[in-house]
Amino acid sequence: MSPAKSTVYRGRTGQWAFVFHRISGFLVFFFLLLHIVDVSLINRPHLYNEVHELYGNILLRLFECGLLFALLYHSLNGLRIVLVDFWNDAVRNERALWLGVVFITIAAGIPGSYVILKPFIDGKIF
Amino acid sequence: MALREEATERPASADQSKPLLRPRQGFETWSWFFMRVSGLILLFLALLHFSITHILNDVTDTDAGFVARRWDNPMWRIFDWALLFLALFHGLNGLRYIIDDYVRKPANRAVTKAVVYSLSIALFAYGTLTIITYRA
Repeated sequence: MSPAKSTVYRGRTGQWAFVFHRISGFLVFFFLLLHIVDVSLINRPHLYNEVHELYGNILLRLFECGLLFALLYHSLNGLRIVLVDFWNDAVRNERALWLGVVFITIAAGIPGSYVILKPFIDGKIF
Repeated sequence: MALREEATERPASADQSKPLLRPRQGFETWSWFFMRVSGLILLFLALLHFSITHILNDVTDTDAGFVARRWDNPMWRIFDWALLFLALFHGLNGLRYIIDDYVRKPANRAVTKAVVYSLSIALFAYGTLTIITYRA
């Protein structure tokens, strides 16, 4: 059998757990770099306030919701990784644990996003 | 994990009093350990920080006055700096894994790392300076 064509790795839930962990971590890291810059504007309070007004528009609020989902997923899946590293029962149940991670991410992310989007839903901002 | 697997798979005939063969504890072992420890602390710091600044308060309320009130208390400065330090180096180390996975040519890899490390460490220094020197 030639190795070249037929070796596409198709993992199952573990592969998706890894892919989402990597993407969410990457996004949160770049937000952190941006966040250092926006907070450091505090020494020019007027500029700082203008930037934070900008954070209140709908596009950046949706971005905030994305950040919430990324943070939740990365935190909870990270906890799952720690459990799998140190606890044999977690290794045996890693798939169930991952489904738990996805469930809690969605269950906490939706109400959180609702709170973030509420000023827009109530028509206070555009 | 590997250590534990070895422990469970040791043949009964092995001398149980002898210590297990341990892999060499190099940089990557400490990197693995740092990711676990910083990750566990960040779980609390990051989610608490997000809850305060995005859920309990609206993002438009976290204006300059909000920061002035918050940083009046040195404990919040320490909290914010701990979050900055742990998140930045946890993230930078994660990005190092990503670069090693996808940037395969040694020269490209060296350049990519040089740019990413310089930018991150400069921003870490900038953020640290902001937290320390801020006066309301």
